[in-house]
Amino acid sequence: MASLSEMYDVGWEEMRDKLRKWREDNCRNSEQIVDVGEELISEHSSKLGDDIWIIYEQVMIAALDCSRDDLALTCLQELRKQFPDSHRVKRLTGMRLEALERYDDANKHYDAILQEDPTNTAARKRKISILRAQGKSTEAIRELNEYLEQFVGDQEAWHELSELYINEHDYGKAAFCLEELMMTNPHNHLYCEQYAEVKYTQGGMENLELARKYFAQALRLNNRNMRALFGLYMSASHIAASPKVSAKVKKDNIKYAAWAAAQINRAYKVSIEMSYLDSTFHCFYSFFFFIGY
Amino acid sequence: MASSFWKGVVGLGLFALAHAAFSAAQHRSYMRLTEKEHETLPIDIVLQTLLSFVMTCYGIVHIAGEFKDMDASSELKNKTFDTLRNHPSFYLFNHRGRVLFRTPEEESTSARNPQALPNPIRLRKLEHLH
Repeated sequence: MASLSEMYDVGWEEMRDKLRKWREDNCRNSEQIVDVGEELISEHSSKLGDDIWIIYEQVMIAALDCSRDDLALTCLQELRKQFPDSHRVKRLTGMRLEALERYDDANKHYDAILQEDPTNTAARKRKISILRAQGKSTEAIRELNEYLEQFVGDQEAWHELSELYINEHDYGKAAFCLEELMMTNPHNHLYCEQYAEVKYTQGGMENLELARKYFAQALRLNNRNMRALFGLYMSASHIAASPKVSAKVKKDNIKYAAWAAAQINRAYKVSIEMSYLDSTFHCFYSFFFFIGY
Repeated sequence: MASSFWKGVVGLGLFALAHAAFSAAQHRSYMRLTEKEHETLPIDIVLQTLLSFVMTCYGIVHIAGEFKDMDASSELKNKTFDTLRNHPSFYLFNHRGRVLFRTPEEESTSARNPQALPNPIRLRKLEHLH
């Protein structure tokens, strides 16, 4: 089987930079990471220098996703050899046990870490993930709330808590978590948009109005966000269609909905025209090719 | 390779700046010795100072790396929920990837794991209906 570097004509530096980009963007494309990382580790380990340890960690987690337990064990053993007493490596050992569904062993592992270092956030988060994997959502929510009382600035944990609440259909508390996130990241249009969606799902006139406002805010931050555009259209039309609103509010919302609809049509018209051009070109090309015979 | 050239430029600029400062100090002490304290600094030292300063700044800008946009929201324009929803500290592994990618030999040889849940992913919520 040809190696990746032969098939795609890339050097080891590009592969390493790709892995770094995936690591920084939190991409979970585990199959690709395993393919690229396995080749880097097996053939270019000497050229990587100190980068290799973080690549081992990244590849190990991706290998657990792809059920490549052999590769995961290899990476883990290399890391254990290099960093024998590290809490980070112990956490990876625990993650491997979780992937093998040995939850009690994994829990014992994390408790040992927490005994040595009670402030270790990673072990606490893994214990919460174990509760979630076992389906105990209410305990997971309770533990995550306690964690957030101590570590209020942890954005990942707030977003995870909002996802847990959405799964339990507790939209009020999910909205609260998203408000925390919006406060600390005012320029992030995605949090605005997700908050607006939660408010829209909750329903009721004030929530619909709030949803429309936050969809508009998301659009102001990023005018290419199609979901926010659709959300603006839907919330404005719902408010306009409701029988309890005053005439002025109705008129305003019809205007907003019309504007949003025009924007959506324009965005799709451009992309449809592009695809028409594409398909007509292909028709002509294949026609001439055919009559050439 | 390109970055070592710019590092050389910065080094040269800093050296020239130090050299100009040293010659200005030397000129000052010479002026004091010959009691001609009202003469201004010679123009070549001034020119050398300014040129080496500009060279250093130019070289540092090239070493400093990619500039970010002033608008904080513009670098988020291409971000999607695909990557925002992933929380690496909370990754779960009880998904279908564990079964999909499993090789056939593993299935036959894997022993019954006593700690694993009997119904790991799918039908837990429907259990109470049975």
